[in-house]
Amino acid sequence: MELRFYGTCTLDQDGCSTCQDLAVPVRVVALNGSEALVEDRLAQRAWTIVDFVPDAKVGDILLVHAGLAIGRAREEA
Amino acid sequence: MKYVDEFRDPVLIEQTAAEIRRLAHPDRIYRIMEVCGGHTFAIYRFGLHDLLPANIELVHGPGCPVCVLPMGRIDDGMAIAEDPAVIMAAFGDMMRVPGQMGSPLERKARGMDVRMVYSPLDALKLAGENPDRQVVFFAIGFETTAPSTAFTVLRARALGVRNFTVFSNHVLVMPAIQAILDAPDMRLDGFIGPGHVSAVIGCRPYELVAQDYGKPVVVSGFEPVDLLQSIAMVLRQLNEGRAEVQNQYKRVVPWEGNPAALRALEEVFAVRPEFEWRGLGAIAQSALKLQADFAQWDAETRFAVSGLRVTDPKAAQCGDVLKGALKPRQCQVFGRECTPERPIGALMVSSEGSCAAYYEHVYLRQVAEG
Repeated sequence: MELRFYGTCTLDQDGCSTCQDLAVPVRVVALNGSEALVEDRLAQRAWTIVDFVPDAKVGDILLVHAGLAIGRAREEA
Repeated sequence: MKYVDEFRDPVLIEQTAAEIRRLAHPDRIYRIMEVCGGHTFAIYRFGLHDLLPANIELVHGPGCPVCVLPMGRIDDGMAIAEDPAVIMAAFGDMMRVPGQMGSPLERKARGMDVRMVYSPLDALKLAGENPDRQVVFFAIGFETTAPSTAFTVLRARALGVRNFTVFSNHVLVMPAIQAILDAPDMRLDGFIGPGHVSAVIGCRPYELVAQDYGKPVVVSGFEPVDLLQSIAMVLRQLNEGRAEVQNQYKRVVPWEGNPAALRALEEVFAVRPEFEWRGLGAIAQSALKLQADFAQWDAETRFAVSGLRVTDPKAAQCGDVLKGALKPRQCQVFGRECTPERPIGALMVSSEGSCAAYYEHVYLRQVAEG
């Protein structure tokens, strides 16, 4: 599954509230407690909080908004 | 479909647009509101309005949080920031929203300590770095953003941070939709539901719109094919006399939303009895304040907030545009006194505001083409 399937926002362009309802699709690269190192489609990386997606795993696609993951990509239902 | 390219595939776009033309009965007008500013932006950016038949009218809703924030709240926030001990932290777009005494950016130019942050967690970090100052986070946003604020307040409590507070202007989607549905001049037939707000709140809250008001709601993604499919789904429901909640954005939105985020919202926030919305007036139970348990992180408890109501500039007709009664271009100051460079009305401030999006993607092109 490609990140771009979940939108084209990247970690550097979601820097302000214009993106209020836009979340950045990222892939989990590493986990450290409740924080995850994530990578966007341009291979930019950032640490993000994953408390709201408690069972996130390396390889998962998450949606990040204002520094926190608010959701996880789902297989087409 | 598995890849975004397919959601922008010209053939698929044309097929879906043809399906919409087939579904749209020529003898009726369909007025569909996209609630979310991100959808408004995508519709203009991809020129989707040009693909629709003339009898499908897309009405741009109140889904841009900076657009609906009344001037009085900006002034209240700026009054807090006048205290030299205070560092005010805000999202980028807040910086240009005009208050009576200027925008935060203009106030910053005159020496006020206003800083732009990407996340409320950055504001909390600022508090750690400036122990002798009070950091106030100017919180705005719908349910997409409120969980980040809630998490930050919980973290401030866990870390025992004493010099951090939140000036909460978080608002709720459903009361705004209901206020629009209850307006006497309401002429809407259906709704495109917000995408990422729904990743948090799920689809269930919209059942009220379908069941009590008899209007279809389709929760939609942000790509061209997503939006066109959602419009087709609304048309199909209207043609068949159905009013249901459908989830077009299943690849992101679970029906029940995000339970962990909802729990954090419930723990940290209480619903205000009412809150003022620019253009829509006071709406009951439409915004969030911090729970009494979190009073020491509540800027409205720590600082004197006057709560003044400021009348919006009369010249700008933001309210009529927000309710769908006027198109952006029909506002008397659009493109002349009110431009993205010097906004009068709030809808011109954020690139997701319906006027700014229309100006950028339609008006300028029309002007250039003569």
